[in-house]
Amino acid sequence: MRVVLAEDLYLLRDGLIRLLEAHGFQIVAAVESGPELRRALVDLRPDVSVVDVRLPPTFTDEGLQAALYARREIPGLPVLVLSQHVEQLYARELLADGAGGVGYLLKDRVLGADQFIDAVRRVAAGGTAMDPEVIAKLLTTKGANEPFGRLTPREREVLDLMAQGRSNAAIGQRLFLSESAIGKHTASIFAKLDLTPSDDDNRRVLAVLAYLNQTS
Amino acid sequence: MIRRYALAPVRCLALVGLAVIGACVALLSAVVVALVVTYPTAVAATTWLANLGRRLAREWGGVEIAEEYLPGPPPLQPREDGWYVHDRQLFRSPRVPAFLAKTEALSKDPAITRDWFWLAFTPITGGLAVLLPPGLIAAGVAIAAGRVSFGPTRPASAMTVGLALVLTGLALGPAMLRLHALWSRELLQPATRSWWYASGVGPRVGRWSSATWHGAELAGLSLGAFGFFVLQVLAIVVSWGGLLPHAATFTRPYLDQYRRQARRWTGVEFPMPYRPLPGSPERDSDGMYRVGRTLYADRSAAVRAQRYGSMLTDPATWRDLLWMGTGPLVSVVGLVPLMLVGFGFFGLVWQPLWWAPWAVPLGLATGEWVTPWYVWYGLTALVPALGAIPGWVSPFIGLAMAALGVLIASPLLRLRVAWDRLLLTPTEAARLAQRVRRLTETRTDAVDAQATELRRIERDLHDGAQARLVALGLSLGTIEELLERDPDAARALIAQARANSTSALSELRDLVRGIHPPVLAERGLGDAVRAVALDSPLPVDVTVTMDGRPEAPVESAAYFAVSEALANAIRHSGAGRVSIDIRHSDGVLRFTVTDDGHGGADPARGGGLRGVQRRLGTFDGVLAVHSPAGGPTVIKMEIPCALSSPRTSTS
Repeated sequence: MRVVLAEDLYLLRDGLIRLLEAHGFQIVAAVESGPELRRALVDLRPDVSVVDVRLPPTFTDEGLQAALYARREIPGLPVLVLSQHVEQLYARELLADGAGGVGYLLKDRVLGADQFIDAVRRVAAGGTAMDPEVIAKLLTTKGANEPFGRLTPREREVLDLMAQGRSNAAIGQRLFLSESAIGKHTASIFAKLDLTPSDDDNRRVLAVLAYLNQTS
Repeated sequence: MIRRYALAPVRCLALVGLAVIGACVALLSAVVVALVVTYPTAVAATTWLANLGRRLAREWGGVEIAEEYLPGPPPLQPREDGWYVHDRQLFRSPRVPAFLAKTEALSKDPAITRDWFWLAFTPITGGLAVLLPPGLIAAGVAIAAGRVSFGPTRPASAMTVGLALVLTGLALGPAMLRLHALWSRELLQPATRSWWYASGVGPRVGRWSSATWHGAELAGLSLGAFGFFVLQVLAIVVSWGGLLPHAATFTRPYLDQYRRQARRWTGVEFPMPYRPLPGSPERDSDGMYRVGRTLYADRSAAVRAQRYGSMLTDPATWRDLLWMGTGPLVSVVGLVPLMLVGFGFFGLVWQPLWWAPWAVPLGLATGEWVTPWYVWYGLTALVPALGAIPGWVSPFIGLAMAALGVLIASPLLRLRVAWDRLLLTPTEAARLAQRVRRLTETRTDAVDAQATELRRIERDLHDGAQARLVALGLSLGTIEELLERDPDAARALIAQARANSTSALSELRDLVRGIHPPVLAERGLGDAVRAVALDSPLPVDVTVTMDGRPEAPVESAAYFAVSEALANAIRHSGAGRVSIDIRHSDGVLRFTVTDDGHGGADPARGGGLRGVQRRLGTFDGVLAVHSPAGGPTVIKMEIPCALSSPRTSTS
């Protein structure tokens, strides 16, 4: 799987290259600035890219802007954005096009190598990987509002994991529940949030997040 | 149809009666306005009459007149401690404050002023129109009956003339009723709808005449100040200068009042010129208070001496005195417009207009006929040279004088204010001294705040990330030891070490957010505030209108100020919705945080808002809180600053 990597700190870039190569990814470009990243993303059309939000030359949100730009050029181009901090604002911007293939994680998550690689693969497959912290913020700030107030604590847990991009089976494993029990929970969540159920994992996550977006 | 024409003269007569009663009431209420207690009663009478006028205009004249009185003040609510408050004054019972609030509201209602003018003017305008039909009929009847005759006329032709007059009177009735109604509408409807206002003449005359009044009132105030000056000079001379500081404590509030009034009427700022009074003197080691070269045993004597010295050396004291002393000179000029308008309009124009109602009955009763131009003849008696001009020209001269008066009023007012500013505002040196004082204060605040902030960061790093890294190192050392002997224990420690590193990162993240939020660095003020709004548990509307970014320190101060205000709204106000407005215009960054909570926020009570005030002070920014009990709370903040050009996006 062809990967474009954008990270300006040498140590972290090196570590990420090693980590990704160890898991069978092929690094087609490892860049360290926004303009380079724009070119690499549009020219090379990687299967997935791992991008740091803050990049030279401005050290503002160059990485994010480059990712958004590339996704406007090539809709659905899978991008996993890494950052030292997560903001609902950025998550919304990434998800706004509704095309899937988006990840937004804290850099800390790189430490849990297996989960990180799992997230990269999910994004490459067109899924989503939202950092638990983003989901937690969404749920705590909007939790008091209807219709989220109607969710049971268990259903919130399921929604949380679902929004991170996990399948019913994976959620069941996490919560020590059967897959069919999770199926019931998700159906109940959809009913409470007035969403039409769908088999597609991404679609439901996108639907949930789009819904959160809409109600803010 | 016949009924309408037949009734019209009677109705006209009724309106004439109303006009006469109205004029009396208007005159009376002008007198009782001075006695504040009867003011609402007088207003009730004028309003009742005006409403009657509106009704009659609709029913008799077929003219609809919109009415637009302002709603009265809301009912008075006691404070938490049971007292009632009006204009920062506390009252035990609601009666007096409610009365004051009502009086104030009434005096501010332009509709009531219009009512009064309608009452006062109708006898010489619409009143004359409705006087015509009954007058013609009465004259016709009198001629027909032979009670009045025009020299040698035959009874038959007298009959014809009388009949013609009666018929004309009858025919004119409805038209005159309508004319009266139209006149009433012009004055009684909301000012914005009248021709007078829409044509632009009204507002202009209003501005000119207010300049006349304000010039005269400022002149009056400054004459009052001259009175103070005379008393002061007397007091100072008699006491060999000993009373000067006391006199100054009396005059300063009076001059402040003058400054406020002048600012309200002319829009010119009058900054305070006075030096702050010195703090209380320190006690020396020998137990005495030292002021200059003198030692005082008594503290209050020392305070007095110190104040005396500071007042004497403050140039503002002497400039005040100079201003007060020159008051009459400047005031004479300031009163010229009012004298021109008063004598010209109210003497030469108004008196002839109002001559008929009192001079005709007087003439009929006594046979002595007073000339309508008596004011003019009074003037010619003083200045015989004017005697050549006939009396009937005088109203035109009066109008010209009044016009001259209102025309020169504005320039003279500006001239007067320029003079006032020269003496009543701080000199350049005093202004700079004030500025230095303010800068010293805000610099101290800034340095304090920065030191506190550094201490907090040091503590957080020391107790947080630093400690966790030490623990991490220790764990790694132990893991090295255990790796061979006890791999299971080593694995457990590795998990623990990883958890530690995650916590350290999360703590560092929070710390960074507190120092300078990453979104602020990456996106600027607008998006940073939007991000905070998204994370808040309440719905927050954010509108941002600015192109470009302010300097980083300003941006940071503004961000923390808005965050603090938002946090306050969320924590204390009980609001259900908050809106934040950020805009940059005319070199000032303004941000407003409004919530629909229960109000009662007060930065003076300390806490977050006080801190925000100090933080903004460093940038010459200000914070104003408007938070009446019951809400809503509006927090307005301003920082003067320039924006750099917007970041050019390469996309």
